[in-house]
Amino acid sequence: MRIRPIIYGFLVLTVFLGVIYGFQAAGIWSVSGKVSSTGRDIQPMDSDTSSIKGWMTLGQITSTYNVSLEEIIQTFNLPPDTTLDTELRSLESDTFSVNDLRLWLQSRTPSEESVPTPTPTIAPTPTELPESIDEQIEEERKVSGVTTFQDLLDWGLTPETIETVIATAIPEDTSLQIRDYLSGTGVRFSEIKLKLQAELDKIPDS
Amino acid sequence: MSNLTAHTAGRQGSVKPRLRGVRRLLTHQTLRRFIQGYFALFILVLIVRHAFAGEGNGAGVPSPEAYCPFGGLEMLYRYIVSGGRTIPHTHLSNLVLLIAVLVTGFLLRSAFCGWICPLGFIQEMVNSLSRFLQKHFIPLRKAIRKLKEQSSSLSELDKALRYIKYFVLVWAVAGAAYYGIMIFRNYDPWAALLNIYEFSFSQGTFILIITLVAAFFVDRPWCRYICPLGAASCIVGKFSPVYLKREESSCTSCKVCTKACPMGLEVHTAEKITSADCISCLECVGACPRNGALEVKIGIPGKWE
Repeated sequence: MRIRPIIYGFLVLTVFLGVIYGFQAAGIWSVSGKVSSTGRDIQPMDSDTSSIKGWMTLGQITSTYNVSLEEIIQTFNLPPDTTLDTELRSLESDTFSVNDLRLWLQSRTPSEESVPTPTPTIAPTPTELPESIDEQIEEERKVSGVTTFQDLLDWGLTPETIETVIATAIPEDTSLQIRDYLSGTGVRFSEIKLKLQAELDKIPDS
Repeated sequence: MSNLTAHTAGRQGSVKPRLRGVRRLLTHQTLRRFIQGYFALFILVLIVRHAFAGEGNGAGVPSPEAYCPFGGLEMLYRYIVSGGRTIPHTHLSNLVLLIAVLVTGFLLRSAFCGWICPLGFIQEMVNSLSRFLQKHFIPLRKAIRKLKEQSSSLSELDKALRYIKYFVLVWAVAGAAYYGIMIFRNYDPWAALLNIYEFSFSQGTFILIITLVAAFFVDRPWCRYICPLGAASCIVGKFSPVYLKREESSCTSCKVCTKACPMGLEVHTAEKITSADCISCLECVGACPRNGALEVKIGIPGKWE
């Protein structure tokens, strides 16, 4: 059967746009991680701190996890003039990362075993918190902005593997933070972080 | 549409009547340019809007990368195994667009490449500029003609190079599945173009410049040799019922069709054009001066007449 070329053109347009409109009509469409397929703003889930994203604001965190802004500022040594509208990623520093915030919020949430016991637990003092965060980071072997080369070596990665991933030699001073070390090289830390995490995930837990 | 009637109603093998005035514009080539231009403009508007709104723009202005079908292919594995989570720089829209491209390919061959893809359109525009300049500057015409004559002996190399896109496809998809990030993105000229307002010179920017320079001499160089989305579309297109038929009794082997083909296929010697590289732009059909010598047909794949 023969098709006229101009009809063929209209067919191409119809099929292509038809599929897209079909999915959109079924609610299967989203052009942003910030809105759901129904167009509603994505909010962090109080049951899952991994749902916290860098583009979320401190306001979303305080309302979802029932924590005050002052507490966050104090715990992570954030600037005192930080407001609820501030995006988390704009606060990234040596003392704060999205991952640190997730872990801290997780540590504040009572674990499932402790739920049935009505005995009130004493909240850790702010001075104790950074230690527990560090311990958890270490335990969970999560690469973040504060991870040093020594951390990676301690977690079992070989210098060769690290050098392959970062495509350059590791520094003599292994206490350097990876992000700081890579900042001058033009390499995106966000991508290196994922690759290093993938290498870490391959190592079985001891 | 009356011009089309004139085209097709003519005696088999007779010379097509010369179209004049408005009728010259009422062709499938004009429609193709219109569709390509529309989608290119759509992406341009997205780039400009996103550039002015910035990264932290709230939910209102999506990134143009959300409209890249290849992102759908890169996120597919992770999306399935993680139960619906996307990888960085991808969204559900990428997956939907990928499905739209593949469905179009399955039904109508690689028509997405020929009729919609803005990167293909940009390359065609650069090549059209080259042809325009060659028409008006004789030394340039002579130089490019000489270059083409010298490289005509490299047809075997040309055929071999066309397989690169399949390797790029495997590398990009497998890499994204393994690492959970788009490893192809740094080398992707389309991603570089979408983020051009960032003024960051990546490998993708370098490849984009090479592609555009090459498009001055060869039509659609990226599509011919490298494009992984084109490769995916080619594979699916092999199952399409659509093909082009050259009627030998009507054809005078004038090679006009071959010269018009942006993918460099030898149309004038083929009985049926079922090559995976055919992007179904139908430039050959439009350029053919004879009635019924080249036609678009539908049939059962593998059992074409």
